[in-house]
Amino acid sequence: MADFYVTIGLEVHCQLLTRTKMFCQCGTDYIGKAPNTLVCPVCMGIPGSLPVLNEKALELAIKTALAFRCEILPQVVFHRKNYFYPDLPKGYQISQYNFPVGVNGFVEFFTQGTKKRVRIKRVHVEEDAGKLIHEGLGLPPNSSGVDFNRCGIPLVEIVTEPDIHSPEEARDYLVMLRSMVRYIGASDGNMEEGSLRCDANVSVSPSPLELGTKVEVKNMNSFRSVFRALHYEIERQKRVLLEGGMVIQETRHWDEREGMTVSARGKEEAEDYRYFPDPDLLPVAIKPEDVEEIEKTLPELPLERRERFMTEYELTESEAGILTQEKDIADFFEACLREFRKPRLVCNWMLTEVLKNLNELNIDIMQSKITPGSLVELIKMVDKKEISGTIAKDILEEMFVSGGKVKEIMARKGISFITSEKELERIAREAIEKNPQSVADYLSGKEKALHFLIGQVMKMTRGQADPETVKSLLLKELSSGE
Amino acid sequence: MGEKISLEELKKVAQLAKLQFEEGELMRFFQDVNEIVAHFEKLDQLDLRDVSPTSHISWSQPPVHADDPTEWKGEEKVFQHAPVVWNRYFVVPRVVEKEER
Ligand SMILES: [Zn+2]
Repeated sequence: MADFYVTIGLEVHCQLLTRTKMFCQCGTDYIGKAPNTLVCPVCMGIPGSLPVLNEKALELAIKTALAFRCEILPQVVFHRKNYFYPDLPKGYQISQYNFPVGVNGFVEFFTQGTKKRVRIKRVHVEEDAGKLIHEGLGLPPNSSGVDFNRCGIPLVEIVTEPDIHSPEEARDYLVMLRSMVRYIGASDGNMEEGSLRCDANVSVSPSPLELGTKVEVKNMNSFRSVFRALHYEIERQKRVLLEGGMVIQETRHWDEREGMTVSARGKEEAEDYRYFPDPDLLPVAIKPEDVEEIEKTLPELPLERRERFMTEYELTESEAGILTQEKDIADFFEACLREFRKPRLVCNWMLTEVLKNLNELNIDIMQSKITPGSLVELIKMVDKKEISGTIAKDILEEMFVSGGKVKEIMARKGISFITSEKELERIAREAIEKNPQSVADYLSGKEKALHFLIGQVMKMTRGQADPETVKSLLLKELSSGE
Repeated sequence: MGEKISLEELKKVAQLAKLQFEEGELMRFFQDVNEIVAHFEKLDQLDLRDVSPTSHISWSQPPVHADDPTEWKGEEKVFQHAPVVWNRYFVVPRVVEKEER
């Protein structure tokens, strides 16, 4: 079996989190809105209307470029990218060509246990197109409906150099990219809702010295579909080469249901977008002091934070990775530590119970009712053995839904304290005295008898004791009684 | 006169611009376009080695807008001018060549 060298470059579009569109003041909150309600002459391409740049869109694009360690060019120029499609009312998209916002950057992330760097070719800003629907009750046959609500929303496009060499790396790059754009507040990075879109260039070569023929893969709607599509496309190209064929340079669409990429035939003669500078938009000079101001607003980025968590709190790479992927989770974790500096203990609770509850309720930590204060209160009580781990988990579940302090929930649910180990010791002794047969069985070597005794104590404490503590107390009592 | 733009190129540009011409019109444009391009040749005689390309003639900072949404209430007027509207969608002949983005 011959060795193949895989080369992947990714182009990701993210919708910027502005309140208005890129060249007009229509709102951007289009999800769930009736068609063509967030529109005006500018974003519908009505002749005579003129675009005016949204400064926030430019600022967020620069912020993104800085996060990806790009050089910021001194002048931003907008170009027209010309093509005909009904979702593009002007017949061109305002985009950028030879003077994008940023060039020559890089991003680092962990993949399969090692740190990897991918070079960023460019970061530019452009406007989104409208949306088409092809089906609907009463839609005339052989026609499509156009909705311009999304048209003109600012997008930032982040283009890598061909530095990615496997679907796993591509996925880990995307996870980092999403995490970063969310950290800096540039985009919500939601691929399912279309606010993050990814196209890939894939080639396979039998030699590490030369690149294979590049195939563009489009239409991937989730991180999982990117992974599957790349995997499929790499295997397809290998097969073509092994059979002595040639890979054709083309665009292929990922078909999620069939699990394969399909040639996008009838592609207009080699895309000729006839880019030229938009005469309606003056070039914008980017002052170094403005870039500095924007740079100051960059938060600690996910990778730095992950590495700090590893050294400062002695967490493993994977623990730190999970805790820092979402800024809100990392902030919550550190807020807990400010009140209770036991990173190991808080980390364990975060990674198991907190994330489990968020997953089950399908909400973000910010949407839940839990606060760092109430989580810390709970962890402290378990730490002092005032309540058992099992009871704590029940209380935590309740805190996610209805909020409130631990003691309030305990009162509401009729849970009482096991105030001290002294109290538990007394109960353990009582269980031993009441069950001489089990004690005799245990002492004659029947392990099961110990479980019976533990069960008795748990019953007497109405499940509020920690079984591990009970076990060790019983063992202590039993050995001292010998 | 040697042609600068071939008939093939002209036809391609027309196709990209979705313009249709009668054969006679096309020949007329063919001649016009080549005359215009020939005129540019004259400009090429200027020594512009140290002059950067000019795409805009103003050096002022362009106006920008603040990130505050405003509502435009004229959609109804636009719908009135659209040939077909269905449930607030503008209806166009079905397109299938490209996938939905
Ligand atoms: Zn608008």
